Amino acid sequence: MIKFGPGNLAIPKQMRPVYLVAAGQSDFKKFYPEKKTEELAVEAFRMLALENNLKVDGIQELKEYIHTACYGHFADHFGDQLLGEALIHDRLGLDPMGNVGIKTGGATGGSTLWIASNLIASGYSDCALAMGWERMDEVDTWTGNHYIATAADKDYETELGHIYTGYYALMAQRYWKVFGKGSPAFRRTMSKIAVKNRRHAYSNPFAQTHGKITVEDVEKSPVVADPLRFYDACLMSVGVSAVLVCSEEVAYKLSDKPMRLFVTAGSHTLRTADRRNMDIPLLPHEEADPEIRKYYEKLKGPEVNERYPGFTGFLAARMAAYYAYNMCGIHDPCEDLDLVELHDAFTISDIQTYEDIGLRPYGRGPEYIESGDAYLTVPDDGSFSKKLAGKPGRLPSNLSGGLIGCMHAVGATGIMQVCELFWQLQNRWKYFHARKEMWERFGKTMPKDIENLQVPDAKRGLAISHAGVGSHVTCSILMRPDALPTK
Amino acid sequence: MAKHDYDFSNLNPTATVLRKLDPIVIEKPRAPIHIHTYGGESPFFRGLTEGKLLATRCVNKKCKPAGKEGHVFLPPRVYCPDCLERTEWIDVTERARKTARIHTHITVAHPGAFNRVPIPCELISVEIEGVSTIIMSQLRGAKPEIGMPIEPVFETAHPTFTILDLAWVPRKA
Repeated sequence: MIKFGPGNLAIPKQMRPVYLVAAGQSDFKKFYPEKKTEELAVEAFRMLALENNLKVDGIQELKEYIHTACYGHFADHFGDQLLGEALIHDRLGLDPMGNVGIKTGGATGGSTLWIASNLIASGYSDCALAMGWERMDEVDTWTGNHYIATAADKDYETELGHIYTGYYALMAQRYWKVFGKGSPAFRRTMSKIAVKNRRHAYSNPFAQTHGKITVEDVEKSPVVADPLRFYDACLMSVGVSAVLVCSEEVAYKLSDKPMRLFVTAGSHTLRTADRRNMDIPLLPHEEADPEIRKYYEKLKGPEVNERYPGFTGFLAARMAAYYAYNMCGIHDPCEDLDLVELHDAFTISDIQTYEDIGLRPYGRGPEYIESGDAYLTVPDDGSFSKKLAGKPGRLPSNLSGGLIGCMHAVGATGIMQVCELFWQLQNRWKYFHARKEMWERFGKTMPKDIENLQVPDAKRGLAISHAGVGSHVTCSILMRPDALPTK
Repeated sequence: MAKHDYDFSNLNPTATVLRKLDPIVIEKPRAPIHIHTYGGESPFFRGLTEGKLLATRCVNKKCKPAGKEGHVFLPPRVYCPDCLERTEWIDVTERARKTARIHTHITVAHPGAFNRVPIPCELISVEIEGVSTIIMSQLRGAKPEIGMPIEPVFETAHPTFTILDLAWVPRKA
């Protein structure tokens, strides 16, 4: 652990601008025996190459640009295959170009993008592929839960239940008691997140789940580790996501609508046990607001006496947001961003993340949901006041369905989020989600009541990729080049 | 030493279990034994089998700790995470008996595979005065509550040589 010095808090720099020009993915399923991972990777790459209006004559011409490949894949024991990167690289026909495997747990996708963007920013490559995948269906769910739990400390934590939901539930309990005052209203807010994200997945052909659920369904679902229930938890998936990142010159050669990309990373101890009570960096809008600064002093004082970041916040997410906002000129995320894709591994961690990335101050995360801000359109199902229902929200979150509704194919997840942001910013949500052909491609029927989830005139989006109980977090910000904030 | 109940180095090559023909899906059995060391943290696990709760403490006078609650680590660390100098072992059993409280807690209803804790099990995070970290453990014989005073108990009769040798019960007044 670090006692902050100026080197630690230095704002990251790109030596030259980084652009994202294309995105592609497979569909996501709990069990996918019909296809090997290698096939899914080729399908994701084909979508990336052929369906993003690139100015090249087919796949082979595009491949002539690719200089490096970064592959995100987390859990070797799930897929039972070491050096899967080399197999995929070969199936994509990208040998003998350099490639590297990257793994940081649930943040693997985000970290893969972090490395790929830095390859471009540094000048090492002009065009790099970032692809992530996971194969989680070779073992049953409870063995899968044990495998995931080995990403806790195996000597001090894993033995205690062999279930990651438990390690998050410890935080949920503490948060609920300290900030939620033990009230049922807090339980309801968590449920609303699960309902929202499943509802978004209903309109996403890539998604693993297509059933709509209600707050009551969430609250009646079986307890996994009290207070977290079945529907509070993310999915376990098989699938692949990929994006192509480029220098400015190559970006405009390949695309008329490339997007600017900024990626940063933070970390914190793997064991929540080791999170010591220390100061945290403030985000630009918090720094500028004496009220928030005073409120944070109060949180640390004897009245609330919350030891944070610890069990109620993720310092890794705070660090990633601190670096990212200062790097690309975001002042207040609720004002400056148009949509976000957050790592909703569990409903509780989604709420914690709202605070780390400054959507609400620490301790007030639920307000982001209850204000209606988190919705594209606030639902008119009785869960919100008449005044809010049907109104547009300020900063819609997880329109893909997130990890709770769409997928958590670990190595792919952080890249899936950015695929969705990219298509939103290009105003192409409809092409990838609301066409019959896309649903049929994945053996599904497009629902008659599919919801239009294109954010009107989306200019800037953010994605949080998150590992462990907050051991690694990356923050990716995608912007239309004509909409960079003036610092 | 435990004996393997099956000889995995001599699997019968015709023993393939076919689950499905189109696409072809087969079973691949395995039950490897991992030989795992606690290395320099061994005194902690040995301590549990002897009824002692051992932590480590940074004794480097030049070290600037990152946290605000001092410099005693539980789970123990062989090296201080701030200055990377070797720590020293201290016995915090008495301190834990007098000051330990529940920081947060859960009840596990559905554990993952290989779980050995009786279900439902009460998992707790334990704060101890003067210890800068909050170790995860299990509570026995009571419904946990945040702030509840507790004391450690140890599996000294039939130790497992794992973290399960440590548990907590409500503190006797």
